[in-house]
Amino acid sequence: MTVHWDRVTVPLELPEVIDEIDYQRVVMNSGATWDYFPGHFDPDYAHAQGHPTIFVNTMHLAGFADRVATGWAGPTSRVVRRKMTLAGSVYAGDTMVGRGRVIAKRCDTSVEPARYLLDLRIEVTNQRGELCCPVELTLQLAAAEPRC
Amino acid sequence: MDGRSTLAFGSYADALRMVGKTSEPRTAGTVVSAARIQLFAALIHDGNASYWDADFARRSWGGLLAPPALLMGWLIPPPWLPTGEPRVASIALRVPLPGTTFINAANDAEFLLPIVEGDRLTVVEEVVSVSPEKRTRLGVGHFVETLDTVSRQDRAVVARNRNTLFRFTPHATPMTRAGDDAERSDEEERRQ
Repeated sequence: MTVHWDRVTVPLELPEVIDEIDYQRVVMNSGATWDYFPGHFDPDYAHAQGHPTIFVNTMHLAGFADRVATGWAGPTSRVVRRKMTLAGSVYAGDTMVGRGRVIAKRCDTSVEPARYLLDLRIEVTNQRGELCCPVELTLQLAAAEPRC
Repeated sequence: MDGRSTLAFGSYADALRMVGKTSEPRTAGTVVSAARIQLFAALIHDGNASYWDADFARRSWGGLLAPPALLMGWLIPPPWLPTGEPRVASIALRVPLPGTTFINAANDAEFLLPIVEGDRLTVVEEVVSVSPEKRTRLGVGHFVETLDTVSRQDRAVVARNRNTLFRFTPHATPMTRAGDDAERSDEEERRQ
């Protein structure tokens, strides 16, 4: 499915995305991103640093936020900006819940050709409803009838 | 692996001397590859055709699209090198401070151009700021803000990545899961 910029009405709630994070998924962080900080694969190290167990890295949280956005908008959309705060960690055994909302729609004419943009707010919470990662994200989309 | 092994140690005054410093350009050892794009997409459970469908991606982007979230991953050296040389740590970890470990606190990335399979990326890192000592629920430490400018083989800048990590020494008593909002409270305090 492809969402066209000119057919989006604001505000708009995106479909909720739920993802259960088991130990394998957290260990995959290091394999997939080459981020071998031991807090992502060594429970003893994580414990010694004050964490209950290993936790996902920033790239995983960013990827989940991007999935919430582009999973809705379709593969012709592209993330052009993402601002996120790591407010709380997502640990092995947790469930990530992503909720997104389109809050603004704009046409960027400072570049040629113009860019058709949507501003989103996404919240990544855990299964207890605790906010782990608030995200501001801008998506570039295609327009069915390109016109600002 | 010990998390301390890549860290530089020193005082806050030492750290402040690095503010404004930039690194030499560092080029990734390998190009952006389909295998790593798809391993990352598998980690995220992201079925986006731009990562999996080579024909669609070629028509849309000129090749399989690198997930924007993997930006930092392309510039991390592999976990072992045959030459035995130590891995080059990011400039944020080379800021000399007392903290024995770190955790990421915030990230703000701008993706100016699509990064696709076959691109070879180069990064220049800059230390933007180091905060005074902060006490959080995780421990006592400093926030280190850095700016990465990432370009590809034709020198076009493809992304800018502003990152803030908390370099700290943990408290003696581990926290509970529910208490894990240290970075949030301190980040909010820092912005005020």
